[in-house]
Amino acid sequence: MSSATLILWCIAGVLVVMSWRAGPGTIQKGLELTWKTTRANALLIILAFMIVGFVNVLSPEELVTAWIGPTSGWRGIAAAEFLGMLLPGGPYVVFPIIEILNQAGAGLAPVIALITSWSTQSLLTISFELPFMGWRFTSIRWGLGLAIPILAGAVAALIWG
Amino acid sequence: MKPFLKKHWVHTLLATVILILAGLAYARGGWQFVLAGLKSGLNILGRESVLLVAAFLTAGLLQAVVKKEFVARWLGQEAGLKGILLACLGGGLIPGGPYAYYPIAGALLSSGAGLGVLVAFVTAKNLWSVSRLPYEFAILGGTITLRRYLITFLIPPLLGILVEWLFGTKISAIQEGVKK
Repeated sequence: MSSATLILWCIAGVLVVMSWRAGPGTIQKGLELTWKTTRANALLIILAFMIVGFVNVLSPEELVTAWIGPTSGWRGIAAAEFLGMLLPGGPYVVFPIIEILNQAGAGLAPVIALITSWSTQSLLTISFELPFMGWRFTSIRWGLGLAIPILAGAVAALIWG
Repeated sequence: MKPFLKKHWVHTLLATVILILAGLAYARGGWQFVLAGLKSGLNILGRESVLLVAAFLTAGLLQAVVKKEFVARWLGQEAGLKGILLACLGGGLIPGGPYAYYPIAGALLSSGAGLGVLVAFVTAKNLWSVSRLPYEFAILGGTITLRRYLITFLIPPLLGILVEWLFGTKISAIQEGVKK
């Protein structure tokens, strides 16, 4: 079991104790809400994981490595933003890929833009965001977020470039 | 057909993406690749199912335990900067992938959290993340990690404030849209 799973179960445990103390019916209400959310989103979650699976097999990280290479400057930062959106998976998958680019000489600014873009603009994440938050939330958050990786890369270039 | 698509547009969108990706997989390696993609997705789903149950349980219990007045006061539109900073802290500390934190963000949304607060929560989860720090540090080294955290440190609260200022009033439309 991963530490994330363990921590989330601890949080759920604390919430069980809190609902137990909050008075009769609270736990039942919580479980009903849990079941309602699960039922409404089960199929979407399965679909989203199928997308994760296909992205895994298609391994766009090869594409990312091939494209960004050791380019730097504005072009490097812009490419990093775009490619960061395509990087799939958790930190243990993505950071090794970024390290390869870093060692290939990608430069600090594109590397920081890449980490930031993967963090805030990842397209794969949107498959999980839409069901729970809706398209309005996603378009506002993602749309305004588009400026962030480029800004982060530019600031890095200005300070340490 | 039309009302069906309108009601289930997220399903339709995700299914379309799957079809496109399956097509790409087929072009790359035939049915074997398509099958491998499906298998990989189900494998990851199976591996994460224990985490998913905890996330959905947390989301459900959160809505039952935390009173709407409490959310309104601490995380609602009126909470202002205090709510945004609190959300950043929560986002930075919560572990797990998007399938874990979006159900929780959805629970906060339906309990009455503000738009700036929710954006700050999601953004801090991805930029302040404490649970990710060890990987980043170990793989990319101290210099890059430190500089990356320094540069992106202000982004979650600033984006929260900006979003609240520009689109804060859209929160009820967002809430209604998800409820449907």
